[in-house]
Amino acid sequence: MGRSLRTAIFVAFSILILAVLLATLGLTQWVVGREAVRGLSRDLRTTGQVFASQLQERAVRLQTNSTLLASDFALKRVFATHFDPERYDAETLASAGLSYRQRLGVQLVWMTDEAGTLLAASPAGKPLGQSLAAFAPLREAIESQAAATGIVEVDGKLYQMVAVPVLGPDVIGFLLLGQIIDDSVAARLQQETHSDVAFLTASHVFASSWATSGQHERVRAATSGLAALSGRSGALDPVPLQTGTERFLSLAVPVDAHLSEPLYALIQGSYDAALAPLHALQWRIAAIGSLGLAGALLTGMLLARSITRPVRALVQAMHEVLRGNLQHRAPVERKDELGFLANSFNEMVGGLQERERIKDTFGRFVSRDVAAAVLNGRVPMAGERLEVSILFQDIRGFSALAEKLDPAALLQVLNQFFTEVVTAVEAEGGVVKQFTGDGVMALFGAPQARVDHVECAARAGLGIVERVARLNVLLQSGGTPPLQIGIGVHTGEVVAGLIGPDARVEYGVVGEPVNLASRIEALTKDLKATILVSAEIAARLGPRFVLGRTAMLPVKGRTDPIEVVELLAHPTGA
Amino acid sequence: MASHFVPCHWLPLLALVLAQPAAAARSVSGSVTAPQGAAIAGAVVFLQEPAPPPTDSQHAAAVVDQVEKTFVPGILPIMVGTYVRFPNHDQIQHHVYSFSPTKTFELPLYKGEAAPAVLFDKVGVVKIGCNIHDWMSGIILVLPTPHFTVTDASGKYVLDNVPEGNYTLAVWHAQSNVKPEDTARQVPTREEVANVNFTLTLSPARPRPPVHGSRADP
Repeated sequence: MGRSLRTAIFVAFSILILAVLLATLGLTQWVVGREAVRGLSRDLRTTGQVFASQLQERAVRLQTNSTLLASDFALKRVFATHFDPERYDAETLASAGLSYRQRLGVQLVWMTDEAGTLLAASPAGKPLGQSLAAFAPLREAIESQAAATGIVEVDGKLYQMVAVPVLGPDVIGFLLLGQIIDDSVAARLQQETHSDVAFLTASHVFASSWATSGQHERVRAATSGLAALSGRSGALDPVPLQTGTERFLSLAVPVDAHLSEPLYALIQGSYDAALAPLHALQWRIAAIGSLGLAGALLTGMLLARSITRPVRALVQAMHEVLRGNLQHRAPVERKDELGFLANSFNEMVGGLQERERIKDTFGRFVSRDVAAAVLNGRVPMAGERLEVSILFQDIRGFSALAEKLDPAALLQVLNQFFTEVVTAVEAEGGVVKQFTGDGVMALFGAPQARVDHVECAARAGLGIVERVARLNVLLQSGGTPPLQIGIGVHTGEVVAGLIGPDARVEYGVVGEPVNLASRIEALTKDLKATILVSAEIAARLGPRFVLGRTAMLPVKGRTDPIEVVELLAHPTGA
Repeated sequence: MASHFVPCHWLPLLALVLAQPAAAARSVSGSVTAPQGAAIAGAVVFLQEPAPPPTDSQHAAAVVDQVEKTFVPGILPIMVGTYVRFPNHDQIQHHVYSFSPTKTFELPLYKGEAAPAVLFDKVGVVKIGCNIHDWMSGIILVLPTPHFTVTDASGKYVLDNVPEGNYTLAVWHAQSNVKPEDTARQVPTREEVANVNFTLTLSPARPRPPVHGSRADP
């Protein structure tokens, strides 16, 4: 019982703490996770904007540079050579282009005539004389006779290209400069914004910040990610994608370019990295929570023990009391309800012990039934009228016996004798009310009323005679002379109740039948009978009892003689 | 042959006219318009046939002035073999050049009359510019004939001193994509004053950096 109570407290504590812990963790996960994703999405969009403005800036810078370069008179002179077949020198033009490439830090320089036919290229590669009007920036520049920019693909590489007219003073040609968008551009963007970037179409990855860090798997996965993203209408909402074991939030920003397929900047931020602070926080919460849990469990355990230990002690005490050990007391160590409980228990056991002691004390002198009746409150304090049978017994020749035996032996004989008498009386439901030194007074039908008290008294008398006869055999074998007894039995209405001053109150019966029973017992000596019963008794015993002589005898204190009958034996066969 | 000096503030332009047999001279006039009827100024109208008389050693001379960082005139027709001077009347220097195959030349930074005259000895279009002023732009149209004129602001022209005979008249404009020979019109021979009108389709004017002067400005 103590174990289960302790377990219950323990479990309740654990569940409570666990619930709080899990709720905290869940709430943290929800709030911080949402914020992390929001922050990451914001970062991705910022990267998209930074990228767009970088592209814009690069285009402006490129255009400014090329416009400046195109205004250079030396360049114009170089360009103008194409008007004259004798002076046209593609190699010189290309070497001039190399010089411009180095001067401006661009990766591509093309020179065309006013119609867009390639005059010179650096690096070499494109066949001269070919029309480059298919390149959108050049086409636009030819149409507008002004500078134009755009993103184009040249030999599988992505270039930001500007085409500016060379004026002399009319357009005498176009200067095309290309700045490559490669892995290093993506890597730089990644360094600035901390978001990974790839430039790709559905079928080709042109550049990525992953290539520089060797994450080729992500490069491969990027196109499939793009397919998932570009199919969506709201492309500006980042979408979680998984690459290998890492999760990413991805944003596909369409890039205006002149390619056969749409170009995108795929911007990715690591979902897991964004959630790393959350995980750290969760670890901390979990650690603190675990400590709290451990502390709470320890507290709960101590508390449970402090509750269950006195309870167990109390339970043990109850077991002791149940086994009859009324000496046992529960330890009282606390001043709370449990202490009160132990105290009350001890008081209760004390009361029980006291009663038992009283019962024992009573029992030594009176019947256990009387004691029980008194203690149980079945005896009305005011007294009651009851019809009872009264049996008086006496040892004849006790004085002579007392002289023959030494006191110890005498008491031993008396104790043996009374044990037999009391046993015989109680066997018939009677109560030994009084010890008279060498005899007893027994009641039948009080304090427990019963209808067959007459027969009980008669049988008790016969029982006493039988038992004493057996005792006498025993005594005679020990050299002690046999005990002679006389028994008188009478019935009548008496007043029964508690008699005496408070301190010495005892259960008793008073009335004429008591005195008469005593007188009848006294007559046994005269008639040399063992048991004499009054005529009222004899009349109610019926034929089954064996009766002997009948005599009318004068009784002390009464004018009329009374009729007594000798009771000889039990009903035959009974 | 006498030369007719063209003043720098010529308007309307009367092209240089060579001395002709007096008895035979007559005039051709008309207008050059867009298909919708808008007047086209700065179009050069010239006699295509017959072939010009051979040039002698005494070359004619013409002038492209530079005023307020603008070439004046913006369009100058000349007969092949003409010397053109490029006086600079600004307070700053100019660097006149041409990359045109018809005549490539360069007059490095100068002021006033310091630059030598340039001989235009091939027929064709010469686009001139200034190295230090990108917007400065002019055209010298080198023609094989001394008979030419330029339309005024209302698109009208008068070509005097046209000799007797059968001629075709052609028109050239910087923004026209039609070759002059394809615009050729027969000049009626009977009338004292012949009237020939042209319709030209011009490509849109090209956007240019800040331009302080139009080459089409007559």
